[in-house]
Amino acid sequence: MPRRILEKVRKWSAGRKAIVVLLAGFAAGIGMLALAGTTLVYTSSEAFCAANCHEMATNVAMEYKGTIHDKNRTGVRATCPDCHVPNAPIPLYIRKMGAVNDLWGHYISHSIDTREKFEAKRQVLAERVWAYMKGNDSRECRHCHTVAKMDSDKQSDKAKARHAKARKEKLTCIDCHFAIAHNEPVGGPGPQEMEVDRSLISRGAIF
Amino acid sequence: MIKFLKTIGARLSRPGSIVVLGVGLVAGMVFFFSVGSFMVYANSEEFCANACHEMTVHMAAEYKGTIHDTNRTGVRATCNDCHVPHEYLPNYAAKLGLFSDYWGHFVTRSIDTKEKFEAKRYELAKRVWVYMKENDSRECRHCHTTAKMDAEKQSEKAQRRHDKGRSEGLTCIDCHFAIAHSEPNGPGPQELSAAAAATK
Repeated sequence: MPRRILEKVRKWSAGRKAIVVLLAGFAAGIGMLALAGTTLVYTSSEAFCAANCHEMATNVAMEYKGTIHDKNRTGVRATCPDCHVPNAPIPLYIRKMGAVNDLWGHYISHSIDTREKFEAKRQVLAERVWAYMKGNDSRECRHCHTVAKMDSDKQSDKAKARHAKARKEKLTCIDCHFAIAHNEPVGGPGPQEMEVDRSLISRGAIF
Repeated sequence: MIKFLKTIGARLSRPGSIVVLGVGLVAGMVFFFSVGSFMVYANSEEFCANACHEMTVHMAAEYKGTIHDTNRTGVRATCNDCHVPHEYLPNYAAKLGLFSDYWGHFVTRSIDTKEKFEAKRYELAKRVWVYMKENDSRECRHCHTTAKMDAEKQSEKAQRRHDKGRSEGLTCIDCHFAIAHSEPNGPGPQELSAAAAATK
């Protein structure tokens, strides 16, 4: 703030106009928080995520098109942020700061700006997401899919048997339900073959 | 450190200080954060289904076990998903409408027994149906994106009926009513004429 304005605010604060300064601060506080909140909401929308950089638009968003989370019987969808942006406030803020990494890759290192570079890095990127999801017990999956409210009578026999097996072996959603929204990387280990500290898997303990 | 605190103290005690602005700023943030948090809390199933016995014993109990509560995938729609608008302005308007709920709960006690509730069920259902007809089932469509419905995964009956619904200009609630609460006796949403819908 320029010194002159600062001095003016000081002078006002001393006199009867102090209340005006207080109210101005109040309004500015509301404005700042509203702006921050709106930014968080907007940057967590499919419109922003799938269209804002060609890395997302041409690779991951394209692959997502037509998958079960995009198009299905009821038209109830899960878009980019539903799976990849935490809903709990603190993990959300941490993730949003992690977006600096995306900006770095886009503007500075150009790490996945061609299809070839993206394909070459696919396994690394997939493993990063799998490790994150294993570490928080597939928290983002569970934000929509409430296990306690799943009607197993409406699931196939195969699904029932596998879910029972997974519970016994303490698996988490992503251990089996991987590559359901994007292409499966070729060659490398899948989530079940990955070494992730299983003691970390307790819901909400990990960001 | 102590010197720093003393400086702050001196600034605070001196009236002509920028601190006034800072205090206002923080107060504004706290105020806005509180309002926002309350909005989120007041839109949760935890709040809606438990805050008053009217909701708990009538509406929430009926909702239990319906397709929007428990289903194959465990993806749910709870009270607020259907009954609280998701856009900002309609949301605020709906929140102000809460005063009607307070009035009914604390003053007129309009549905505090099962008998009173049953006697009023049709009127209450009609109110919701008219609201949903007027905004083209906006809250349904917040989750159910028509353009992303895969017709091939629907039954033939459903496909046919959706075609018919489209050609007759019907909206979701015209057919999908009484899916989360018991059906009242009386004309359904389709029988409510547009005129009745317009005059409420």
